Amino acid sequence: MPLEMSSSTEGNTARLSLGGELDGSSAPSFRDAVDKLLQGRPERLVLAVEKLTFMASAGLRILIFAKQKQPTLKIYLLKPQETVVDTLKKTGFYQSVYVVDRDEDING
Amino acid sequence: MEQHKFPGTLDALEPIRKYVEHVAQSAGLDHKATYKLCLAVDEIATNVVLHGYEEAGLNGDLAIGAVLENGNLVIQLEDHGKPYDPNFHSLPDPEDLAERLESREIGGLGIYLALDGVDDIQYASTAKANIHRFIVRLLHHSESTA
Repeated sequence: MPLEMSSSTEGNTARLSLGGELDGSSAPSFRDAVDKLLQGRPERLVLAVEKLTFMASAGLRILIFAKQKQPTLKIYLLKPQETVVDTLKKTGFYQSVYVVDRDEDING
Repeated sequence: MEQHKFPGTLDALEPIRKYVEHVAQSAGLDHKATYKLCLAVDEIATNVVLHGYEEAGLNGDLAIGAVLENGNLVIQLEDHGKPYDPNFHSLPDPEDLAERLESREIGGLGIYLALDGVDDIQYASTAKANIHRFIVRLLHHSESTA
């Protein structure tokens, strides 16, 4: 399933909704979308990934890219599927991003 | 073994995952084991396309097939790019994995996930092709999820 994305910015929070599959083929589009959102220097990047059914390491590398570009950025993953959480845990990313199940948990 | 051929480009990743998903489900793997196998094959196929073909200035196909063998599901991926054995790649160690994202090295995660996703990855480079064999022990799997 192709990657579907939509973005918005509200105050200091940039939001990118992702659906479908994030692999080496679609990662460049994801990187471009993140890069564009970071141009506004948001404090938080919220990735709404409830409908993201697959994420390869190419997707993880974009999270590294975002943090290297803006080290103070807080990255939230909203409602990731269990398999995506497994990948985050296995690679140590789980400790470096905020994994939340509700919009209300996005703060700070 | 019946083989399905795809052009050695990143566009092949999605149909390859679909094929692996179908085979894994037919073999009785559960959702999580199916996902991990798809991820393993996807990561290696990505490396073959990017490093074995594109970086090396080569063109070629990716041929994939599957077989049940001695209680194992074996997915076989063949290419004709620059040989690259994932078992000799340096992997991130626990210290690397605990590093903050802004200090992280970019490479190595794909093969790390690939090796984690299956029981074994066998590799051979012959005059005919480079062959990755992804092994999932079906008995082990059913015991572990029982």
